[in-house]
Amino acid sequence: MTAYNTIAFDPSRCELCNDCDACITACAQVKSGTDNPLHSRIKIVAGFNGNDPELALCRQCGDPECVKSCPSTALTKNPETGMIDWEKSLCVDCLLCTVGCTYGGITYNATLKHVAKCDLCDGDPACVKACPSGALTYVTSASIFNEQHEREDLFVPGLSACQGCNSEMIMRHSLRKVGPDTVLATPPGCIPGMGSVGFNGTTGTKVPVFHPLLTNTASMLAGLKKQYNRMGRNVTAMALAGDGGAGDVGFQSLSGAAERNDQVLFICVDNEGYMNTGMQASGSTSYGSWTTTTPVGSQMKGKRTGQKNLAMIMMNHNCEYVATASTAFVEDYYEKLDKALEASERGFAYLHIYSPCPTGWRFPSSQTIEVCRKGVETNFAPLWEYERGGELRFTHSIDNPLPVEAYLNLSGKYRHVSEEQLAHIQEQVNERVKTLKRFAGMN
Amino acid sequence: MATPALKMKMKTAGCAQSIVCDGNEAAAWAVALARPDLVAVYPITPQSSLVEYVSQFIADGKIEAELMNVEGEHSVLSALHGAALAGGRTYTATCGPGLAFMFEPYWRTPGMRLPIVASLVTRDGITPQCVWGGQQDAMTMKETGWIQIYCETVQEVLDTTIMAYRIAEHHDVMLPVNICHDGNYLSYGVTQVEVPEQSAVDDYLGEKNINWHVALDPLRPMAVDPLTGGAGGPGPGKFVAYRQGLCEGMQNALGVIEQAHSDWADIFGRDYAPLVEEYRLDDADYALVTIGSMTGAAKDAVDSARERGERVGIIKIKTFRPFPVEAMARALKKVHAVGVVDRSVHYGWNCGPLFQEVLSCVYRTGKPIATGSFIGGLAGADLTETHFTRAIDRTAQLLAGTEFDGPVWLNEND
Repeated sequence: MTAYNTIAFDPSRCELCNDCDACITACAQVKSGTDNPLHSRIKIVAGFNGNDPELALCRQCGDPECVKSCPSTALTKNPETGMIDWEKSLCVDCLLCTVGCTYGGITYNATLKHVAKCDLCDGDPACVKACPSGALTYVTSASIFNEQHEREDLFVPGLSACQGCNSEMIMRHSLRKVGPDTVLATPPGCIPGMGSVGFNGTTGTKVPVFHPLLTNTASMLAGLKKQYNRMGRNVTAMALAGDGGAGDVGFQSLSGAAERNDQVLFICVDNEGYMNTGMQASGSTSYGSWTTTTPVGSQMKGKRTGQKNLAMIMMNHNCEYVATASTAFVEDYYEKLDKALEASERGFAYLHIYSPCPTGWRFPSSQTIEVCRKGVETNFAPLWEYERGGELRFTHSIDNPLPVEAYLNLSGKYRHVSEEQLAHIQEQVNERVKTLKRFAGMN
Repeated sequence: MATPALKMKMKTAGCAQSIVCDGNEAAAWAVALARPDLVAVYPITPQSSLVEYVSQFIADGKIEAELMNVEGEHSVLSALHGAALAGGRTYTATCGPGLAFMFEPYWRTPGMRLPIVASLVTRDGITPQCVWGGQQDAMTMKETGWIQIYCETVQEVLDTTIMAYRIAEHHDVMLPVNICHDGNYLSYGVTQVEVPEQSAVDDYLGEKNINWHVALDPLRPMAVDPLTGGAGGPGPGKFVAYRQGLCEGMQNALGVIEQAHSDWADIFGRDYAPLVEEYRLDDADYALVTIGSMTGAAKDAVDSARERGERVGIIKIKTFRPFPVEAMARALKKVHAVGVVDRSVHYGWNCGPLFQEVLSCVYRTGKPIATGSFIGGLAGADLTETHFTRAIDRTAQLLAGTEFDGPVWLNEND
């Protein structure tokens, strides 16, 4: 089985209503050398009765109606690329395909006197590059499936995480990638709570897994790695720790290991608090957040101080590799995991995954990825990476962010936030980006 | 900075060289001979020169171990956990506030049955602020499941630190060992010491097998320390089984400690009482009970008292955890009164901690033995022959039927 890339369309971002036709023009130019929209293989159609605009474009369907309609085998599904290929020499110009397709993805071009359809510009679609508003994106995450699906899932089939928790995704994806020659340490928190170390003599993981102290994960792994190096064995020492175990009570151990550049792959799953034990606040809890220890009452309106920016602190240790990640951008995470894994052979690698918690943050379990996405798109949770000796590099644009309400409004933990608090949060977000930009050499 | 020892001529069989050094350097020589894989260090008075010696030995190639300069005692022991779970032989040293900071991984170590060896260069507790010797640190840790062995001399520090690996790694024990040597008195006290031959130590310790029972190893994947216990299912019984196993290991250690000492005597010619030493006890009417380096001055005081016609002896405890109940009861049966001298305080009972343990053993003897608690040597205070003579006199009064309430504070007027 193979997965394929595709062009995705977000009508809420489309500027058609403002007379934008950048994608159409770009396509026409690439395919005909003219600006004539008739030559474009992508069309944006205004929505009926004020509805969102719609995309008319070949979806490169998995079960394509056009191919089924074609009597001359001119249209075929390419198993290598996933594209619907059209072969001019076989086409009899019957136009049955145009009737079969419900997306307007293949249409008759009167000038050329035959049908024309999108060929994804050899994997670099001109329309996507031309789109000024981000409404069109080229989704290349198919490579994740293609590269990873045959690797063994090293976590148990069943687990005891809350519904909608993305720790499962982090656990399965990360272990699949890192592989079986790994020792995994999961300090007290949601990760062992979901069953990684098992209960009463059972295990939840197919690699050796340890339930270290909340406080000592990094130094424990550092000692373990030293011993394997001494024995001449290549074993990855990997941590999946919460923000409390990484940045609060476990911070000394983490900082020490980073300072010594010990060969550890440390992944912090930051859900901004002690969610496993009932949603108490941590140093990573953001300003204004409701938690059970920063409650909302007449004298207090959620957390009164800002969050510790652990990823930035780790960057200042100048260890091998530091990056932030989000499960809404898995491709980005995979690239960073690759780099971190490689860096952990040289020294300390730290990945900080923003991990919204449906139970503790009070949002529907179906919305986890959306909360993740809005965190990034509002710059509340900017994605960046840092390699030892280099500069910080943003891996997702920080330009034109959505207002922070777009993120805050999704979670009940911010429900009480006043206008004043909201302004403060927006200011904090702006300040943080400004600081990061300085590390990126951008101002 | 630690300076290297003065070398002297070859001595007895099994001895590579004779040197003049203090207890901290003697411990470092023992570490070198035990060939650990990983040593993690963090300095603290009066242990600092010990880890300096060990670091220098590693720098010089005398110890072929990985050295981790860790940011605190908590991480020191954590690093040793990781290395031991990967199969490494490990070492560290600490004391006082450092030991307190290490507590979280410390009291977990016995439960995982990791045969880690750590020197405790014993130091008194704070507050009042104090950087001097005393056994309050070690005594505070007595219920954590670590084996605790207290040394009397610098030579004994060297010898027992090597023996500690034999004891810790014995398959019937698999427990961490603290070799305790008194801060100031043994850490800095300089004497002539015989350093055993490497090959003889190699033979004595044999092949190491650290993680046969629990490992973090991709070749033997297992979950180490899943959540265990709770009120139902397999939990309670499983948890109890772990506790029972630890208690069994502790009891097994008594025999293993004895064997380790007798084998040591056979090879190296130095014969120490492994659990409880009886000094001039067989014809004694009463005795002092001592622990650690104070025993030398106590023996001098007893010798002098003997010359005055006092029928007094000494019961010195070497192994404090596990407590050698039978050996102590056997010694106590020989006398009618004991004065127990502690270098630390048992706040709950208004006495010394060793006193409380001895009191429990008195019940085991089935014999009415008069007892008194003496506390001295706190915060580096000297315990001289004069102090012990006072203790002997008070214990003689106990024998004559004059009991006293509360402890006698031997240095209260110093």
